[in-house]
Amino acid sequence: MNISTTTTGRLALLDLESKPTPLNATLMLLGGIVGAISFAIVFWMLATEGHASFNTSSDVAWGAPIAYYLFFLLASSGLSIIASLDTVFGVKVFYPIAKRCVWLSIITLVTGFTLLALELGHPFRMLWAMPTGLQIKSPMWWMGVLYSIDFVLLLMKFYRLHQGDWESRHTHHLSVASFVICILAPGTLGLVFGMMAMRPAWYSPVMPMYFILTGFATATAFMLFIGSLAPRGTDTSPEMRLLNDEVLPRLFFLAVLAVVAMRFGQILTGLWSNYEGMEANWRALRHPLFYVELLGYMTALVLAAKTDWRASPGLQFVASVIFMIAMFSARLELLIVGQEVPLFKGYWAGYTNYWPSFTEWMLVPLGMGMFLFLYGAGDWLLRLNEARAPALQRR
Amino acid sequence: MARWGMVIDLERCTGCQACTTACQLENTRLPGEHWQDVLFYNEGEYPSGKLSWLPRPCMHCENPSCVAVCPTRATYKTEDGVVLVNWDRCIGCRYCMIACPYGVRFYAEEKQKTQPDVRKVWPSDEGKIWNPPWAMPKHRQDMKRGIGVQPKNVVSKCTFCYHRVSQAPKGTPDLDPNDPKTRDFTPACVVTCAPNARWFGDLDNPNSKVRKLIAEKRGVRLNDQTGNRPQVYYLAGEAAAIPETRSVRRKEG
Repeated sequence: MNISTTTTGRLALLDLESKPTPLNATLMLLGGIVGAISFAIVFWMLATEGHASFNTSSDVAWGAPIAYYLFFLLASSGLSIIASLDTVFGVKVFYPIAKRCVWLSIITLVTGFTLLALELGHPFRMLWAMPTGLQIKSPMWWMGVLYSIDFVLLLMKFYRLHQGDWESRHTHHLSVASFVICILAPGTLGLVFGMMAMRPAWYSPVMPMYFILTGFATATAFMLFIGSLAPRGTDTSPEMRLLNDEVLPRLFFLAVLAVVAMRFGQILTGLWSNYEGMEANWRALRHPLFYVELLGYMTALVLAAKTDWRASPGLQFVASVIFMIAMFSARLELLIVGQEVPLFKGYWAGYTNYWPSFTEWMLVPLGMGMFLFLYGAGDWLLRLNEARAPALQRR
Repeated sequence: MARWGMVIDLERCTGCQACTTACQLENTRLPGEHWQDVLFYNEGEYPSGKLSWLPRPCMHCENPSCVAVCPTRATYKTEDGVVLVNWDRCIGCRYCMIACPYGVRFYAEEKQKTQPDVRKVWPSDEGKIWNPPWAMPKHRQDMKRGIGVQPKNVVSKCTFCYHRVSQAPKGTPDLDPNDPKTRDFTPACVVTCAPNARWFGDLDNPNSKVRKLIAEKRGVRLNDQTGNRPQVYYLAGEAAAIPETRSVRRKEG
């Protein structure tokens, strides 16, 4: 990854004259094929069976697609926070990846909302019913509003950076607004769950903080993953080396550590409480997803703990992928645990038994394919390696 | 304006599920989609085991959490105290199902619990979830109040048979199935209840039977700690009790 710098002039939006690198072509091809096939399958199932092709029911209202969109939306906010470390707080070491982070934030947001649209009963009705409903008591309404603003601000911010405008007052104000929203949006998403007193396994004032933190941790894993894909031999800039070998892995380690500490507190509280609905935490201990999450966090921690291990691109790749799988499991586990104990269905109903259907699982390659395709296309056409110059001297 | 509410006497209720069946037929629900249900609970073991049951319609709460969370205001509360769903506004996000402490909301887009799948036996060509052979007349169906055969991809719930109740003359204190003047305006579950375990009337009218029963027989609301303040009250009396309503119990030790 070389840092090219752009400081002046209006530039074309798409850099069509450049040729895609082998990595870009691979990502786009892989993402396009996987995404298209899985979309075709999901579309066919929804067209023929409707949402009955999901394993959700009147007892388990929210299924795996909600977990997937949580994963992408929270990662989007985390990526936006990383971008803001440079553009708002002036932490210069993040200059080389600020623009890339903004693009990643945009495409994870788009991917998350695409998955959500496939889960909703009437996604297009949402476009007029939510603004006209104006139900300000609903955290979901606020979530929709804030993520819409987030999306617009990210596009505007990316456009300005793409035009080479890193320093102007407008860009700074835009970045500050974007940062505020990228804290409020995942926080409100946390409230969508955390305010539900009738779902004790979710009910927590700490849920917004948990969502922001886990989103940030996922974002560091995304950046580590992206960084590990780039061939290091071609990158000679000391800024990128500092970022990829030291700063990002360290940030990743600290973020994972914070997530583990928070989860430890959550689990202990859940196991201790005898309040109805919290029995689900005991049941979660016997669920395979819990062990995927636990092992994933621990492996990522170990791999990022040692200085020379965390500087190795191969181990960075492994650690970030393992952590993302663990976080993905944690999102799904959160959904299941919160609905494990049915509300008012009688004693004979017992625990709910939910596991995603084939159609629901197909949304995973659909989301990943879409993400890889958009990232490959962005890296090819949008000069994501641009940074404000000269970055290191400003530290 | 009336504030409709229901009283259910657990001393009289036999758990026969006639209310469930009447509701199914009146509101053309799918098999297993019980807007009105009877929940069963067992406690203890032989020889001292105890079986109890609890009829459970929508509680039509005074302070309904389902209304507050609905991002489109598809779920709303009428002036006469009934919680309804406007199917033309519902986006099928199911947040109301998450937020209802009484589990009384349904999303029909799921794998059917019984076979054959009646949605395929009687498919609709009007965008409805199915075309049941016994649907209520079309002029009584009202999509903006969640009454009738529902469209696809929306949430549904008990309406207190609003197509009946809303036709009652103003100022009526009680909708009594035994009174020919009010029988047609009374919810189907109340009409069909063989042991007369249900009363339906205006909770704000000091002369209503429901109000007197709540006062004299110490009517209680379920899960009152949620703050939703249900408009369905239960009478336990001397021969019955409100069952411990936990869905699962963790074994100690």
